[in-house]
Amino acid sequence: MERKRGLTLTDVLITVVIGLVFAVIYSIWGAVYTVLQPLGLHLNELVYGMWFIAAVVAVLILRKPGVAILAEFAAGAGETIVTLQFDAFLMVYALLQGLAVEIVFAFTKYESTRMMTAVWAGIAAALITLPLDWFYGYLAEVAAWNIILMFTLRIISGALIAGVLAHLIYQALRETGVLKFVGSRNMKHHEGL
Amino acid sequence: MRDMLEKIKRRSTFIDKVNPITKISTGLLMFILVVLMHDPNQLFYLSVLMMAVLIILSGVRLKYLAIVLMLFLVFGAFSAMYMVLYGAGATTLFRFGLIHITEESLVRGVHVMMRGLTLSFFGSLVIFTTRLTDVFYSLMIQLGLKPKFAYSFMAAIRMVPIIAGEYMMLRQTRKVRKPLIHKRHVSGLKGFITTVITLLSQSIRRAYRLGVAMEAKQFDDGPRSYYYETRFTPYDILFLVMMLVIVFTSFVTGSTFSLIGVTDAR
Repeated sequence: MERKRGLTLTDVLITVVIGLVFAVIYSIWGAVYTVLQPLGLHLNELVYGMWFIAAVVAVLILRKPGVAILAEFAAGAGETIVTLQFDAFLMVYALLQGLAVEIVFAFTKYESTRMMTAVWAGIAAALITLPLDWFYGYLAEVAAWNIILMFTLRIISGALIAGVLAHLIYQALRETGVLKFVGSRNMKHHEGL
Repeated sequence: MRDMLEKIKRRSTFIDKVNPITKISTGLLMFILVVLMHDPNQLFYLSVLMMAVLIILSGVRLKYLAIVLMLFLVFGAFSAMYMVLYGAGATTLFRFGLIHITEESLVRGVHVMMRGLTLSFFGSLVIFTTRLTDVFYSLMIQLGLKPKFAYSFMAAIRMVPIIAGEYMMLRQTRKVRKPLIHKRHVSGLKGFITTVITLLSQSIRRAYRLGVAMEAKQFDDGPRSYYYETRFTPYDILFLVMMLVIVFTSFVTGSTFSLIGVTDAR
């Protein structure tokens, strides 16, 4: 089989499936986030990073352009299907967060699988929705210390969950040997099926 | 997915026949509109009208609709909480430690909640009246989405029940083997990673197999004919007119019959 540049149908399918596995986790996570919300002090922001993890894991696995956006979009779309509400808001967020991860990995030409790259991607994803949150949630009207706290916690969460945890998942996944099916590195592994 | 939808449907309405593209684009426009609306009165009428449309035109059994509406209200109230409790404002209503409720923050919190509710009502209207397959066929036929993306999504969505089933199986296996395995493999971070890895690796294997099969059957790009035909019909125009009337009505009633004196939530 000749290897095409860009995404093949198999690549797209694998990416979307990774996105949908995380979509289920995202939906459960929504409840965790909501329950933490009234506690105040933005403790719920500490779990926010989970929502970028699909993009980071998928791009670490496949390392091709477009994977991060696609995975995050699939996860967001899947979440709206699982929770039975079509949410344009969520789709926009998912696309933006995927884009942020995409940009960070594009800087390394999709070659880096180091943990730091994942951490930077998580931080970028945490930052990219700041303007939208600002406008939608009237954050300009919330006390300043509160906003700074909120975004500090969100960035920490992005670095820890979408960065470190995503990389741990990638490492463990590599050990299972399933990644030989994936991507363009080695194409002589059909026997594994 | 479709079976589940048919189970909760009571009757079909004209919105079922509206092209999915029309509904999704209207959803995006609604999102922009709601973000730009700052008058709580107008937004209140808009959310009430959207709720009415959801109840009347979704065709879903009232029992299920009641559950959905309840969930929306509870989640909406939670999401409004932080703005109500910590927002800045001049007229104090209640103060306790860090919590500082003002009239302004209360209005703003409710405003943000109504934004969410309006979008949720419209969103569930779309979900309840649209078949997933039609969305992707419509995206391919009307908007020229590449078939490899559309078919991948459709195939992957069929795998979600398998993934869910696998998760349940994993839980039961752990329950059976509980005395034999160390606790840290079940709960906490390690347990989470173990679960995710199991689900992901199995899904990647399955997706790879399916992908190879689908590529062999030419579910790829290129000129093709479609099993389902989707097209734009007069129902699309009817739907757009209905939405315009709703938005217009809420603007007019919002400015004529104001419920509260505040006209700008900012």
